[in-house]
Amino acid sequence: MLKKMTQLLAACAMIAMSGCTPKEESRDYCSEVRSVDRLVLAQMTISKMATIDDIKPGEAHGLRQTAEALIDAVKIGDRKAAYAYGTYLRASIDLSGIRPEDVRVDEKARTITLDLPAVTTEYLGRDLGIREVHYRVTGLRSQIDAGERAALKEKMNTILKNEVEERPFFREKLIAQAKTKAAAFFQSLLGEGGRYTVIVNFKN
Amino acid sequence: MKPSAILRLATLVCAAAIAVGALFMWKASPEASHIRTGAAAVSDLSSMARLCTLDIYEEVPIKGYAGTKHLVAIATLKASVTFNLDGVVPEADGDTLRLTLPPERVEVYESTEPEAYRVIDTWNDALLDHSKLTAAQENAIKAKAGESFRKSIYRKGYVRRARKEAAANLTAMLSGMTGKTVVVSDPTPGGSYAD
Repeated sequence: MLKKMTQLLAACAMIAMSGCTPKEESRDYCSEVRSVDRLVLAQMTISKMATIDDIKPGEAHGLRQTAEALIDAVKIGDRKAAYAYGTYLRASIDLSGIRPEDVRVDEKARTITLDLPAVTTEYLGRDLGIREVHYRVTGLRSQIDAGERAALKEKMNTILKNEVEERPFFREKLIAQAKTKAAAFFQSLLGEGGRYTVIVNFKN
Repeated sequence: MKPSAILRLATLVCAAAIAVGALFMWKASPEASHIRTGAAAVSDLSSMARLCTLDIYEEVPIKGYAGTKHLVAIATLKASVTFNLDGVVPEADGDTLRLTLPPERVEVYESTEPEAYRVIDTWNDALLDHSKLTAAQENAIKAKAGESFRKSIYRKGYVRRARKEAAANLTAMLSGMTGKTVVVSDPTPGGSYAD
């Protein structure tokens, strides 16, 4: 009876512990070449900074943070660093979406009216490297290695993307800039040195 | 059942309950992270008129070293081939518009997709030196990998393809907008990269 109960408890403990095991994701080696026909009108650089520092006992919340803060407190030396990098967001229009009826020329009024596809935004990418703004590791503390910096960049990337989704300001500002540029560009391209006034509209 | 067996069982159950309770408290508490992030800020906003005809994504292995320190990683790189159309004004020749395709720009970035940069291994060959690769050393290795990726884009003929498509797209756009015959000439069909 006792043996069975012990086995049952061990099985329950194993089931509970299995939730702590990190899951491995398989990834395929990929390569993709994509033909596009886009006119890029604006680009935004978004900077993000992050720090690596010990958790202070007074600032810890919950069991995990308190345990980590206590462990940090007994370690000899300091471990502080700050890193930053840029992420690039671009705004463009899909030129393949322009139809003949989207261009109207009024010779009498000397105007060309263009109904352009909606301006869309996408991530162009981020810096290959990471900028070390500050680095101070003293005493017996371990140095910050490439793996830790990669993990930091991954975390910063996730947070940045969430911020961009939550704050429409970023995309709105970029789209506004792109629309202004589109008007100036098509005026210079099609206006024949001021002979025509180019009116640019955007489809939704 | 003997009283001693009951006592042992009760002790076991209590210990298990405490362990499971501690585990749930641990899992429910906020993550202990040494990382703190600041708010994202716009550091640059610029306008441009660049025709983009090709986007290339590739997962590339990064292998490099600085002295006795080595790095092996995998990065998903993204390259974009664009053509600056700012200042490009077509020349009118009767009912024909003529213009020259400008030099291409091949920009290489790290992808923003999850796990775009994964470090597989780092080590130091020196027996008594336990120092790690610095950020500057790692950046130099990655910059070299980026440059090698850029060269491979030319070598694989992607730039030639991008230029061909740019000429076709420009012709279609301008003839559609003006109703005129458009001739786009390309002085460097293979690209203007000097190795």
